[in-house]
Amino acid sequence: MRADVVVVGAGPAGLATATRLAEAGRQVLVLARGNGFTHWGAGSVDVLGRVGGEPVDQPLEAIGRLPEGHPYHLVGQAAVRDGVDWFASFAAAAGLPHTGDLERNRAQLTAFGTLRTTCLLPEPAAGPEGLHTGRVAVVNFAGFRDFSPALCATRLRRAGIDATPASAPLPAWDHDRYFTGVELARAIDDAGFRRRLAPGLARAAAGAEVVVVPAVLGLNRGHEPWADLQSLVGAPLVEAATAPPSIPGLRLFAAYRARLESLGVRWQFGFPAVGVERDGDRVTAVRSEGASRVLATRCQELVLATGGVAGNGIEANRDGTLTERVAGLPVDGFEDRLAYLGGRFLGDHPLAAAGVRVDAELRPVDASGEPVAANIHCVGGLLAAHDPTAEGSREGVALATAARVVALLAATPAR
Amino acid sequence: MTHLIETDVVVVGGGVTGVAVLRDLALRGVHAVLVERFDLGTGTSGRWHGLLHSGARYAVRDQESARECIEENTTLRRIAPHTIEDIGGLFVLLPGDDEAYAEQFVEGCRASGIPTEELSAAASHRREPLLAPDVRLAFAVPDGGIDSWGLLRSMAADAEARGCKVLVRHPLVGMERNGDRITAVRVHDAVAGEDRTIGCQWVVNAAGAWAGDVGKMAGVPLTMIAGKGVMVVMASRYVRGVINACRKPADGDIIVPQHEVAILGTTSEQVASADDISVPPADVDRMIDMCAQMVPAIASGRVLRAFAGSRPLYVAEPPADGDGGGGDTREVSRTFTVVDHPRLDGLDNMYSIVGGKLTTCRQMAEAVVDRLAERMGVTEPCRTATEVLPGADHGTHQVAEPLARVERDKAYGELICECELVTRAQVRDAVASGLTELEDLRRKLRLGYGPCQAAFCAWRAAGMLADARPTGNGSGSAADGGPDVVAGLERFLEERWRGQRSTIWGDQARQALLNHAIYRGIFDLHGEGVPDEAAAPSARAGED
Repeated sequence: MRADVVVVGAGPAGLATATRLAEAGRQVLVLARGNGFTHWGAGSVDVLGRVGGEPVDQPLEAIGRLPEGHPYHLVGQAAVRDGVDWFASFAAAAGLPHTGDLERNRAQLTAFGTLRTTCLLPEPAAGPEGLHTGRVAVVNFAGFRDFSPALCATRLRRAGIDATPASAPLPAWDHDRYFTGVELARAIDDAGFRRRLAPGLARAAAGAEVVVVPAVLGLNRGHEPWADLQSLVGAPLVEAATAPPSIPGLRLFAAYRARLESLGVRWQFGFPAVGVERDGDRVTAVRSEGASRVLATRCQELVLATGGVAGNGIEANRDGTLTERVAGLPVDGFEDRLAYLGGRFLGDHPLAAAGVRVDAELRPVDASGEPVAANIHCVGGLLAAHDPTAEGSREGVALATAARVVALLAATPAR
Repeated sequence: MTHLIETDVVVVGGGVTGVAVLRDLALRGVHAVLVERFDLGTGTSGRWHGLLHSGARYAVRDQESARECIEENTTLRRIAPHTIEDIGGLFVLLPGDDEAYAEQFVEGCRASGIPTEELSAAASHRREPLLAPDVRLAFAVPDGGIDSWGLLRSMAADAEARGCKVLVRHPLVGMERNGDRITAVRVHDAVAGEDRTIGCQWVVNAAGAWAGDVGKMAGVPLTMIAGKGVMVVMASRYVRGVINACRKPADGDIIVPQHEVAILGTTSEQVASADDISVPPADVDRMIDMCAQMVPAIASGRVLRAFAGSRPLYVAEPPADGDGGGGDTREVSRTFTVVDHPRLDGLDNMYSIVGGKLTTCRQMAEAVVDRLAERMGVTEPCRTATEVLPGADHGTHQVAEPLARVERDKAYGELICECELVTRAQVRDAVASGLTELEDLRRKLRLGYGPCQAAFCAWRAAGMLADARPTGNGSGSAADGGPDVVAGLERFLEERWRGQRSTIWGDQARQALLNHAIYRGIFDLHGEGVPDEAAAPSARAGED
C-alpha cells in the first residue's frame, strides 16, 4: 500500500490534519489503534483555560504567558486562529454548529454542576450564560445511570443558581435492562421517540426557564434532535458534559468520518502503527499490525497524531524512561517513575506534559535540537511542553498544530 | 466514678484476633466490649495477601505454626465457608531451586499433617497454564483464599447478636489501675469527640502489632517486633490457585488470586514502628521480577497498587538489638503466645495474645479465652470451632458468583462498578443502610478496587448518594441535610491516590492520566482543601 501522507491517530489532531490535507488535495491514509479524545473529552473545544493554575478569560492574549517551547509558541497565533476558524466552519457545515470565539472563554456546564472553562461550545451545550436568569430544572432520563440531577443541582445552587433536580420518564423502548448513553442518544435520533419523550420531559421541567439534561440528545443527526426536542418541550435545553464516552464527541467523530470518506481518504481502524522503515533521514513506510501480519504502507510524509501518555502515543516505562511507540522518537524521561505523578490526584502531573520535542516545522528533534527525520511531523497531544488537561488546551493545540502541518504539507508536490 | 459502660471484659483491637476473642467470649456467655481505634480490619487484618494458609509455607522451619495452620484451615472451612475461596495451592520448583529443600518440604508437610500431592511438570501446567515453562514439578497443598473483611463482619455480627459490643473509632487513651488490677479503660469517641470510661473486670490485649503500646498504657513491658511486608496488587488473577515458590521463604515467593485481582507477596523486614507502611519502589520491582519467574505474564502485567502491612511478631526474649530496623524477620516463628501478665508482671487481670496469623485467629482466641475463663470461673467450653458463622449457609465463595447473579436476575444486574461487578441494587441497599461515605462503600462492596481505579464507579456512586438526599445544598453545613457529596468524592479520590505512585507505569499510567482527564478535565474538580499526600500522616498512607 502507499499514500502521499499517512496520518497515525484518529483523535482531535489526527482527524483535523487528515481532513484538511485531503481537502487540500493530498492523498491521505489514516491508521488508528482506536478512538481518541473526541470520545474521552468534554465534547467542546478547549483552547486555553488555565495558565499557571490561574483561570484564563482571553485565550489568545494568555498564550503570551505560556512557558517557552509550548506548541502555541512554535506555531504562532495565526495558526491558532486558522485552526479554530477552520473547525468552526467544518463543524457548522457538518450540522454541528458551535458557539464562541477566541476573544474570550465560555463556561460549559458539567454533570457535576461545575462550570468548566472552554472556548467553543456545541450549540446544545451553550446555555449556561442564561442560567442565572431564572429557574433551572436539572432533569435526568429515568434509569440513565451516568447522570445525577441532585449532584448537578447541588453545585449549581452553591453557585447561586436556582436549580431543582427532577426525573423524566422514558417512553417504552426495547431495553429491558440498563442502557448506555450511546443507546439512549441513538433512540433520541428517532423523531417518533422524541415526540413520546417530550411530554414527560416538559412535566419534569415544571415550567423552568432552562432545562439541563445529560448530553445524550441524539447521536447521528447532528444538532437536529436537540433543536427538535427543545421546540417540543418549549424551553431551552442545555446538555451538561458527562463522563466518557462523550456523545457530542461521538457526533463530531461521525462528522469527521463522513467527511473523510467523501474525500476518498482510506481509513484503517484497529491497526496500531508499530514501526517505520527509513532511508537516510526520511521515513519511507509505516508498519502497522493487522489481524495476522504486519503491513507496510509506503508514504512520502508521516504525521504522528498518536497522543501523549494518555493517548497511548508514549509508553511510560517502569524505570522512568519514556518510549515513543511508532518511530522510537526521542522523549525526555524522568529520574524515576515516582517523578511521573504529583502527590494529589486532582493536582498536576508532570507525565501529562511529557512528549516529543519538535522544531518550528513540528519535526521531532534530538537533544541538540536537530531534526531526527525530515518527513515526520508531530501534532496534538504527542507534543512536549504542554499539559492538555491542566491547561485546558487539548483541542486548541490539536487544531493549531494541524493547521501548521497543513500549511507545510498542502503545498508539497506529490512525487 | 460513673462509667459509661460496665462490662466483664474489654478487648483491645479490632483485627481478626480481637474480634475472634469477642466472639469466643460471647459464645461462653461472657459480656465483653471491643474497642478499636479506626475501623475493623484497618490494621494488619486488612493489609495482607488473603491467603488461607495450609501451613505448608512453615513446614520446613516452623512446624508448630504449620500444624496450627492446617488445623485452623480445616476449621475455618467449616465455620466460615462464605469467606473462603477453595482454590488450592501449588508449591512450584524452578530450575534454580534446591531439590533437597523439596524433600524437606514434603517430609515437613507429612510430619505436620498437611496433605500434599506431587504433580509432574505436565500436570502442573495443565492445572496452571500460565506457569513458567521451566517449572519442573509442583506440590499441591490445601491453600485457599480468605476474605478477612467478610470474616471480621461475620464474627462481629455473631458476637453482637449475643450481646457483646463493638466500639469502632474508639482509640484507647488510658487505663485506670488500682494496685495489681485495671479497673477501667479510657477511650476517645472519635465521632462524638469525647472521652469515655469503660469499667471492667478483665482486659484482653489483642492489638497485634500495636500490642506493645497497649502494654505501655497498662504499665507492663511487652516488646513486639514490627515486621513489614510489602504486597503488590495485579489487575488480573493470572492463576486458578495460590502459587508458592518451593524454596526457603524469600521476597516475592507467593501469588494469591483474590476476587478479580492477584496479590504478590511479600517482603519481611523489621521496621522501627508498626505504623511504617511505606512502599519503596524497589520492593515493588523485586516482587514483580521474582513472581514473574513463576508466572512470566506478570512481568508485562498491569499493577494496580502496592501496600504494606505490619506482622505482629513476638519473641519472649527479644534480641539485644531488637529496637530497630533492617533485619529479616522470617526467622521469627509465626506461632502465637498468650502473655501471662498476672504471672510475669504482677498485673492480675490482663492477658495479651500476640504473634500468630490470620489463619489461626480462632485458635489464638480460644487459647487466651480458655486462660481467662479459668480465672473467671466460667466453665462453658469453647464452641467457636463448631458453631457456624452467620452468612455461612451458601458454601464457599465463588469468584464468578456476582456475574452469575447478574445473569439470573436482570433487575439486580445494573452495574455501577464494572471492574468489581458492583450493582446499583447493592449500592442502593448500602446507602439505605446508612452508609454516607464512598470509603465505606469501598470496604463493604469493593467499589473502586478494580483496574480502572474508580474512573467510572466513584462518580456514579456519588450520584446515588446525592440522589438519596436531594434536599442538600452541597455546602456541607448542618442546615443542608447532609455532607457535601462532591467533597466526599474528592476525598475518596485522593485517598485512593495515596501510595499508588510507586506502581504507576505502562497501562496504569495511561489509566491515571485518563482518570485525571475525566475528574479534573471534564468534571472540573480541583480538590482544594484535600491534603497533599506528602503532608498526610504515614499511618493513613497506602492501601487498606
